Amino acid sequence: MAQSPYLSRVQSEMRPGVITQDGFLGNDHRELQEILIEDDATVKRLNTTHAAIAARMHELMEAGAEGLGLPIDVPPHFEIQVDSVRGKLPCPFMGGTIVQKLNTTVFNTRLGREITYTDLNIHMIEEHGFYEGRGSLFRMPPEELAEILEMDLREPPPEDEEGATPRLCVRKDDHDF
Amino acid sequence: MMIPFLIAVGVMCAITSLLAVIMVIADATIGNYGDVTITINGEKSVTVEGGHPLLSTLKEEEIFIPSACGGRGSCGLCKLKVLEGAGEPLPTEMPWLDPDEVASHVRLSCQVKVKNDIRIEVPEELFSVKQFETEVKAIRDLTHDIKEVRLKLIEPEGIEFTAGQFVHFEVPVYALTDEPVYRAYSLSSGPTEHGEIELEIRYVANGICTTYVHQHLEVGQNITINGPYGDFYLRDTDSDIIFIAGGSGMAPIKSILHEMARTGSQRKARYFFGARSVRDLFLLDDMKALEEQLPDFRFIPALSDPDPEDHWEDETGLITQVVGRHVEDASQMEAYLCGSPLMIDACIAVLREKGMPEEKVYFDKFS
Repeated sequence: MAQSPYLSRVQSEMRPGVITQDGFLGNDHRELQEILIEDDATVKRLNTTHAAIAARMHELMEAGAEGLGLPIDVPPHFEIQVDSVRGKLPCPFMGGTIVQKLNTTVFNTRLGREITYTDLNIHMIEEHGFYEGRGSLFRMPPEELAEILEMDLREPPPEDEEGATPRLCVRKDDHDF
Repeated sequence: MMIPFLIAVGVMCAITSLLAVIMVIADATIGNYGDVTITINGEKSVTVEGGHPLLSTLKEEEIFIPSACGGRGSCGLCKLKVLEGAGEPLPTEMPWLDPDEVASHVRLSCQVKVKNDIRIEVPEELFSVKQFETEVKAIRDLTHDIKEVRLKLIEPEGIEFTAGQFVHFEVPVYALTDEPVYRAYSLSSGPTEHGEIELEIRYVANGICTTYVHQHLEVGQNITINGPYGDFYLRDTDSDIIFIAGGSGMAPIKSILHEMARTGSQRKARYFFGARSVRDLFLLDDMKALEEQLPDFRFIPALSDPDPEDHWEDETGLITQVVGRHVEDASQMEAYLCGSPLMIDACIAVLREKGMPEEKVYFDKFS
């Protein structure tokens, strides 16, 4: 299926130098639609939802924010630092969302692994099911997020709850991509 | 059968060629705005080549407008009044402008393209902002993630600034950026050291400038800066002072304290500095010396999570808790805060609880 004009416009907003210096797609030359579909399939395979992943990221961001910019220990074995960088970023999906450049770094001391995400990542995952392209500085592979953030994947995803089912694109005027 | 096909191909080629010619002509004519005039504050006019963003056009004229994002419309700092000739604000500007600003013709200068004659207002203080060529004189590790960078001014040889202000540091093209970008850093040196300045730069993962400074910058290298900017400076009152900072937020406070010492200030001052553990503390000797130079100054470092091997016996807890323990009544004081927005917002709430009027809290957020 051909990519919709809307997603093509979004993809061009994601190019390096338009919103951010490095863009959102890294060295991933696939169409945005293909990237979204593949990550959506991964999320389904993990038995979770974009909303649940975003909720976990948000939960840990809020816990880390208690450190007022300094790293703090968060049970059971996370070390989290939430820090701001000067400026704000608009969402490339053109819905008018602008977010503070807030970086959350989660170090899982049990795994010895770390991941850094921004508030824009949380928004793009929750609202658009977008985890950035391969090779992008802030690429968030869903399986890596689920593992490092220690999501409980045993429960089935809450598909019946409004807004909790996996979505590829929330533009009401453009679901057909 | 073949002839109609060839005619169709020929017609298509002709149309495509015609469209290409039209586009080339359009690019050379419609896209060429020629020389345009910018009238500044109703007094001065400059003639510039049209078609470029106002921010960079003014920079070419050596008028430097604060900007921390390199003109991408993501920092909202480069606001100017454009009284005439720029049309309506663009959608990319609207998130940064409140209704009063829109009504008074405030625009983001990085988003306004100079296509015809325009009239603008530039705050007077920005005319004293200059570009400086410098040489890196020294780089020193203050902590595991903060470096002190000392720059010798080459051209011009001196800078006038008020303690607490900041400059823009130009990051040249390197692996993380294909064009020069600017980032704002507070001056940590005192304003009387005209020939040299000092910056304190904390490493931020993937940060274009901080990565450059921490991994590529070398002594002897030439760096371009411009400045000074900012309205974070010590107000001329007799009120007792509360300073609060964390990390590289130390820089402007240190500059202010040295200026207080130089001018023989008699004001009572308490400086709360938040860090996680001992390895995040720095300039302790400098603060001790200031305690001896200033008649009523105390430096109060507070650790949120000291390591057992730190054997820390002084203040512990979040900086908000420590401020809360030390300050009884802040109603007659004024406060100067520099650091993470999270820290600043939380500290403002505590100071308000202690009775400090909102207009007496001055801050420089890293945001």
